[in-house]
Amino acid sequence: MSKRGIGMTAAMVAIVGVFFGFSVLAYMAAAWLPVKMMNWVPGHPEQSLSPAWAGVISSAANFLLIMLVAVMIIATFLTLAERKWSAFMQDRVGPNRARIAGINRPLAGIPHMLSDIIKMLTKEGFVPDEADFWIYKLAPIINFAPIFCLFAIVPVGPRILAGTTMDGRAYHAGLQVSHADFGLLYLFALASIAVYGTVLAGWASSNKFAMMGGVRATSQMISYEVALGLSLVGMMCVANTMRLDFMVDTQAAYIWTANFALLGHTFDFGLPAWGIFLQPVGFVLFFTAAFAETKRAPFDLPEGESEVIGYFVEYAGMGFGLFMITEFVEVVVLSAITAAIFFGGYHLPFGEQWLHGVLDPSGHSLWGELLWGSALATAFWVKVMLLCYVQLAVRWSFPRFRYDQIQRLGWQMLLPAGLINVFVSAALVLWDPSLKALTVVGLVEIAAILALIPRPKKDEAPAPSLSGHGAVAAHGGGH
Amino acid sequence: MSKAGYKVPESQPETVREKLYLPELIKGLAVTTRHFMRNLFGDRDTNTEILERRGNLMSTVSYPDEKKPYAVGYRGLHRLVPRDDGKPRCVACYMCATACPAQCIYIEAGEYPTPEAGADAESAVIEKYPVKFIIDELRCVVCGLCVEACPKDAIRMDTGTHAPPAYERPGFLWGIDRLLTGPAVSHPSDPWNKRESSAQPAHGHKEAHMRIAQAPSPVAITHFEKKD
Repeated sequence: MSKRGIGMTAAMVAIVGVFFGFSVLAYMAAAWLPVKMMNWVPGHPEQSLSPAWAGVISSAANFLLIMLVAVMIIATFLTLAERKWSAFMQDRVGPNRARIAGINRPLAGIPHMLSDIIKMLTKEGFVPDEADFWIYKLAPIINFAPIFCLFAIVPVGPRILAGTTMDGRAYHAGLQVSHADFGLLYLFALASIAVYGTVLAGWASSNKFAMMGGVRATSQMISYEVALGLSLVGMMCVANTMRLDFMVDTQAAYIWTANFALLGHTFDFGLPAWGIFLQPVGFVLFFTAAFAETKRAPFDLPEGESEVIGYFVEYAGMGFGLFMITEFVEVVVLSAITAAIFFGGYHLPFGEQWLHGVLDPSGHSLWGELLWGSALATAFWVKVMLLCYVQLAVRWSFPRFRYDQIQRLGWQMLLPAGLINVFVSAALVLWDPSLKALTVVGLVEIAAILALIPRPKKDEAPAPSLSGHGAVAAHGGGH
Repeated sequence: MSKAGYKVPESQPETVREKLYLPELIKGLAVTTRHFMRNLFGDRDTNTEILERRGNLMSTVSYPDEKKPYAVGYRGLHRLVPRDDGKPRCVACYMCATACPAQCIYIEAGEYPTPEAGADAESAVIEKYPVKFIIDELRCVVCGLCVEACPKDAIRMDTGTHAPPAYERPGFLWGIDRLLTGPAVSHPSDPWNKRESSAQPAHGHKEAHMRIAQAPSPVAITHFEKKD
């Protein structure tokens, strides 16, 4: 392999290592810290944390470390990754000019993350004269807040055994901010609130074109919310729940197994019950509807960016910076939700129980549980990064949809397809509750799409010749 | 139209494969991802001879660290050509300033002192020289008419570079101090190379002819030996 190839592979291994280290840290904060606080003074329950508050501490630690640190850092990294990876796709180098700390090397463009932030913060954020001041300032916040809060329901890591409380009960904790019962309803609700941000931004700019851009954005977003919801109903039928963590647990099972022994433990191998195998149509519909919700290409006509004025034309400086960072946080959040629902969340495709057996043979080793949980959380972050790459690749590969094409796709294609998917999936689940029939149908669908990819030879038209056109035109002319 | 053997593409997708969108989308993603992987893991050609670089793996030239050399005959930044004694060859005839379509050359002429007043040998046979020669590189349209007009080969645009950027407009006014660069040039037809009278040939050209007459002919002359 070339020198650069070795270097890149080493860099990727290093990044996975960083994810692993971060997951270890997150588990220590979310699982071990409450246990430590509950056992602060052994033998004296009244001077330690009461078990009722342990969940709050765990959630707060998860909020700080996962949402505020991990998601925001990944979103900031995506602002650079968008430019660098799109450059690699287009055979160019991308931004490599920013220098930091006197080091005169490009450092793969990493200092550009900081330079972009400084640029956004130091630009003059003027307000148009006739704009509604309070709504103008509020619109980016209304756009950003729901998207950021969406990550609360995403399960990043499994529940591990963290320790025992003072009265002898075992305490489990996982890397999830909120274990609320409503689960996916939270996703739909907050996606709807995010619509307000765009329409208010367009209206408060006191610019007719921005207003039209805001209306375009709103119309597109609410068109695709129905498809968004419908595409997930199939998975809800399969998993029998609306909570993301239960959905992830459903995907841990194997449809067909082929276990073998390895290093003294059973290596579990087989086809995992991931959403992509059970509901490929649902995955495609959800991914497409998610793209349209986030107004990312190829659905970014409301933003325009090169041909038509969007709704944030009157925004400058940090106001625009908030819209931009919202878009990248949305990319991360949607990748995480897709990974959780359709790609098994934090579960490894095979060998997970084997890893648990190797790291924690007795079932009580705290460090073993922590390392196993961190390995699974690392798998989740890797899936998120892969899906982020897919989202970026889709943005830079496909041409933009026209507005009537967007509406037609949402109402006349995704909605009926979603309905049919719901009926078919529900029927198959009712008929065979062990999900084998649904898996067979899912695999057949995937195989059908893969089989259609190569272009059939008879579609190749012969090269048009100029004489051919001339002959046709001259039929009447009597050449 | 199909009678001509050419299938006009329809505006609506026809086959199931086209209506599904997905197969072509996946093919497109595969093309993009292939380029991405090649550029991420492959070595790009970093030959310092930029024109010799091959392949299209991130073929960006990182200007200004790497510069693609311009073609021969590229018209770029002007330069005033110096004589052997370092003074400019320009005689302030104003032909370049007149020919310039952008009127970007400003010349102020001055007179060389006479030989009696102690002018040096080369300046003695020329009457005028430019006291000020200012080119506004910002106004220049790089047409090369000044080079064509100059009768003394005093101005050339062969520096192989273009006018460098400046922060303010006065930075683009190039005077003699900045324009006078390059090796000295002396043509046989220059006035200081001319001989005093036509009595004896001092022309290097004539001398070369005399040298050729004395040297053995480079053409091989076949001598036939008489055979008995």
